[in-house]
Amino acid sequence: MIMADMVQILVLGLALGGVYALMGSGLSLVFGVMRIVNLAHPSLVMVGAYIAYWAFRLGGVDPMITLPVALVILAATGVLLYKLVFEREARSAKYSEMTVLLTFALAMVVEGALGTAFTNTQRVTSPDYATDAFFIGSVFIPKGQLYSGIVSLTIISALALFLKYSAFGNAIRATTQNRDAAELLGVNVNLVGLVSFAIGIGLAGAAGALVSFVFSFFPAKHWEWIAILMSLVVLGGMGSILGTVLAAFILSVIAAYVGFFFGATWSTLTFFVALFVVLLVRPQGLFGEKPELA
Amino acid sequence: MNDLLQVSNVVAGYGDGPAILNGASVKVESGKVHCIIGPNGAGKSTLLKAIVGMLRVREGDVTFKGESVKGLRPDQILRKGICFVPQERALFPKMTVRENLRMGGYSMRDKSELERRIDEIEERFLILKERRDQQAGTLSGGQQQTLSMARTMILKPEVVMLDEPSLGLAPKIVAEIFDIMRVMTEEGITILLVEQNALMGLKHADWGVVLDLGRTLFEGPGKEILNDPRIQELYLGGKKAA
Amino acid sequence: MPTIDTDDILEQRRAYNESLAQAADKTRAVWFPIAIMAALLALPALQFVGNYNYLIHLVLFTASYVVMASGWNVLGGFTGYISLGHNVFFAVGGYFAGMAFARLEISTIILAPVAGLVAGALGYLIGLITLRVRGPSFIISSLALVMIFRIFFENWEFVGGAAGVALKANSLPVEWAKLPYYYAFIVMAAFAVWASYRIKHSKFGLGLRAISKDEIKSESAGINTRFYKVMAFAISAFFVGMAGAVWGEYLTYIRPNIFLIILVSVNMVLMCILGGKGTIAGPVIGSVLIVAFNEFFVATLGASEINILATGLIMMLCLMFFPLGIVGTLARHRKLPRVLNWD
Repeated sequence: MIMADMVQILVLGLALGGVYALMGSGLSLVFGVMRIVNLAHPSLVMVGAYIAYWAFRLGGVDPMITLPVALVILAATGVLLYKLVFEREARSAKYSEMTVLLTFALAMVVEGALGTAFTNTQRVTSPDYATDAFFIGSVFIPKGQLYSGIVSLTIISALALFLKYSAFGNAIRATTQNRDAAELLGVNVNLVGLVSFAIGIGLAGAAGALVSFVFSFFPAKHWEWIAILMSLVVLGGMGSILGTVLAAFILSVIAAYVGFFFGATWSTLTFFVALFVVLLVRPQGLFGEKPELA
Repeated sequence: MNDLLQVSNVVAGYGDGPAILNGASVKVESGKVHCIIGPNGAGKSTLLKAIVGMLRVREGDVTFKGESVKGLRPDQILRKGICFVPQERALFPKMTVRENLRMGGYSMRDKSELERRIDEIEERFLILKERRDQQAGTLSGGQQQTLSMARTMILKPEVVMLDEPSLGLAPKIVAEIFDIMRVMTEEGITILLVEQNALMGLKHADWGVVLDLGRTLFEGPGKEILNDPRIQELYLGGKKAA
Repeated sequence: MPTIDTDDILEQRRAYNESLAQAADKTRAVWFPIAIMAALLALPALQFVGNYNYLIHLVLFTASYVVMASGWNVLGGFTGYISLGHNVFFAVGGYFAGMAFARLEISTIILAPVAGLVAGALGYLIGLITLRVRGPSFIISSLALVMIFRIFFENWEFVGGAAGVALKANSLPVEWAKLPYYYAFIVMAAFAVWASYRIKHSKFGLGLRAISKDEIKSESAGINTRFYKVMAFAISAFFVGMAGAVWGEYLTYIRPNIFLIILVSVNMVLMCILGGKGTIAGPVIGSVLIVAFNEFFVATLGASEINILATGLIMMLCLMFFPLGIVGTLARHRKLPRVLNWD
């Protein structure tokens, strides 16, 4: 039954989109506020995944419970990285280019460290729900992906509310839109940078906990994620969290259909090609207004 | 010595680059409108940025109420009571008008007082009340300028520095901008204005300053400068223009 | 009213500009690179007295990176467009020459210039597309390029997919087996360094450097920036492709995970940054240091994971503390030894 297949693929695509949305939103926040294209973001997601993996493997702790822990650990790492590396780069003339290279190097450091510590073996956490599914008629919804999608959207909503309604959230948005003006109105933009960076990296940790039971992973896999996440953030209009979330769902669904019709290999290609096409045809993304990066 | 703000022999420039200002001096008297004119690249905007702490003052001094404010960060200058509206309208395009006003009082502790003052501002500038939930980026140029000027009034600062508020606006709108400035002085706000439109600026100013080559070349009452033949020749495009 | 002293300001400007200009011409020492060249050409004579295969391999390996890093430098150093995806051209050159070698038995050394041209032509086409964006967007697009090519090569049956194609080893006795490739790489490296010198000091090179300083101003100054950038991309792809061509036969394998791994493209970037982006000697010095460093790590620790970690760490430290690289930093402080001033 072709129709049922189509619905099934849509559901699977959407479920995957939820996870990518959380992975991408931290990246988007950091870019929006700091103008840092954080190529190390996926490698830090990987760190979160390992935290969840070992907590599950050694202590039988559910990844959902490890999630806030991973979030806090990674946020603290974010503070450290900001203080050690990125704060001093703020005065660099070729700032955005410099930070791309720096985060690229950081990604290698993280990959190398994880590879040294845990080898390149494929890992996955397997709580009960990871292999279970709901059935609606003949359509099945994998529980693991459903739960991770719900958690991911909850976290993103909390972030959106914080940005929209708290004074500090407003300061973050203001800094994203006009850094100089925010500074002139008394916003401590350096603190805003620090906090946003910490939140962004914290979200990477949270996403890692979810990823740990949705995908199998090994340290070098973050390269594949980089291009996937970049495609979301670029398509969403760099720095727009809502755009990133929408892009995550759109691309995941397209990738699911491509995978169904042409095979799994080409499914990943969807993201890369989308990234390429968007950068070249509409560098400001679907929802961005001006070509920030062009 | 009733100078509120005094800039003396300031040397400043961007980053490690050459000095744009080479000993600029300006005296700002309480309650008056001051207008700085001069050709492109004379250092007019640079001077305002140096006062507000966006650029480092390499030599010379900036004093506010007799106290040196040299080397302070922009947010510290703001707390002293000096507000700066930079040239490229300093708005947050994807935040609403109301949110933009709220950002104007970001440094205020008392948030209910802030909301009260925003209401006051909205009463005075009805267009802002009408458009309160609209994104600032969708306002017209004149409305955006109104918003950025009105926003400074939330903090009730002593000095407001405006960098070419009339830039890119139609003559009729420019007149409105100068009206807002008059409202501000009525509130007891001292104004330091940089204007490319020298005629318009000097006409509304109590005190005029001519800046060129990074130095103060001439200063005096606005009308006097306007009528000075040398100034007319050099900066106002000859007698006919006046 | 103070007098207007324009002379004074102009004098200050001139003094300032002079302080920026590097003391260039008089300190150049052309004999030094030529002496190195002569020494390297004579080096294989050591094989008469013992087995120096490892040393030969190291020099060959370094020379291959001199070719690639000098090529990358034309785009990344002179023009200011950082590509993290230049191993794509390494792969294209390698596969083109490798397949021709496997099917038609034409030596890759002879084919290298042709493979370079193929890579260059592809670079031209890709450049036409990706050079429409700059800064971080360009860097991201270059990463995406690697991903796309990797998927293609891994699924292209004609070139053996992920398993690749095995190439025939040459029939020379073991102590001489490396020499054809050794000389090929030495000659290519010398050519790359010479060519990048000529490019840098040509009108074309001046245009590229203007683009890296301020693209919009360059364009309004009448430089056809689009053509210049795309040509720079093609030239850099040419050199990288040429290196790839011979590398495949040397390893007797063409396989995606030889050519399309991120470490290859990172090495090119890192060598230029460490040595000094935009300088002539920079990529050479960077290649020597990074290869030496890699060998040290592989020899002492053996693990490629630690190698990745250390490479990343060095890159971070370089970027943070020596963004101008060794040559650039020394030149700025006017402490660059004469023998290293090849600019």
